[in-house]
Amino acid sequence: MAETLFYVLGALCVVFAIGVVRARMPLFSVLNLLGTFFCLAGIYLLAGFPFLAATQLLVYAGAIMVLFLFVIMLLNLGDAAELEKHAGLSLSGRRLFVACSSAALLGLVGLGAAEMSTAFDARTLPAEHALDDLEHLAALLFSRYMLPFEAASLLLLATMVAVIVLAKRQREQARDTSAASAPAESQRKENGVLR
Amino acid sequence: MSVPTDHLLALAAALFALGVLGFLVRKNVIIVLCSIELMLNAANLSFLAASRHWSQSTLAGQGDPSAGPIFAIFVILVAAAEAAVGLALVIALYRLKQSVALDGIAELRG
Repeated sequence: MAETLFYVLGALCVVFAIGVVRARMPLFSVLNLLGTFFCLAGIYLLAGFPFLAATQLLVYAGAIMVLFLFVIMLLNLGDAAELEKHAGLSLSGRRLFVACSSAALLGLVGLGAAEMSTAFDARTLPAEHALDDLEHLAALLFSRYMLPFEAASLLLLATMVAVIVLAKRQREQARDTSAASAPAESQRKENGVLR
Repeated sequence: MSVPTDHLLALAAALFALGVLGFLVRKNVIIVLCSIELMLNAANLSFLAASRHWSQSTLAGQGDPSAGPIFAIFVILVAAAEAAVGLALVIALYRLKQSVALDGIAELRG
């Protein structure tokens, strides 16, 4: 049962990955990537990594993919002509399709969770059967992997600063071009240096 | 689940290959970033497959099975940082060129 589920999820994973590479519009690429992450979360569950599966769904599918979608919506990258081509299906039909496929995907991951909980029944087996036992991982993170852990915090700080700098400079430029007065001259010079 | 480690690694290899393909072939920056995420996930899957492999009873004590999930956590963290910076660059690029196609970008004269 778990084996067939793994092969089904693996095949779906590859199909979604092909969708990521083949998609015409970035939006469809991101949605396919979301499908890949869901399938991978199911596979992590089956392989005995419930914490990693939860992290995959919360951080990857929940946070990173939403960031991607934000940017696509912000930049309005949708191609109107391309969207027309996909308009063959009526709106309700599309809704039905999306609802069915997401329900099927969730069902598959849920099956994985059920499979895992029966395989690692807490009453019959000790907790070490989850390979990513949280207590053990946390103890390791603060002992043997202390240095990478601290480096990761530095990386996050640097990322935060970098993203703020990248976004802020653009906002100043936009304000100056809209003002289009004497300060714009000096700003342009500055931009020339920056480039 | 009694799937052999080889099959998990084969899936990871397939995902990584598709990620490389997308990274090299596609011209839309967002799809290129998606392909990078795909490759990072393939790496994660192979870390976890290795961890699962070393935790099997016949191999107990030969490798460290807890290194896999730890590395997977760090990979997810790096992926989050990479996505944030990458998307900020995409926004900056879009403001500069009004497009996200990689063809027309030669500002750095690489």
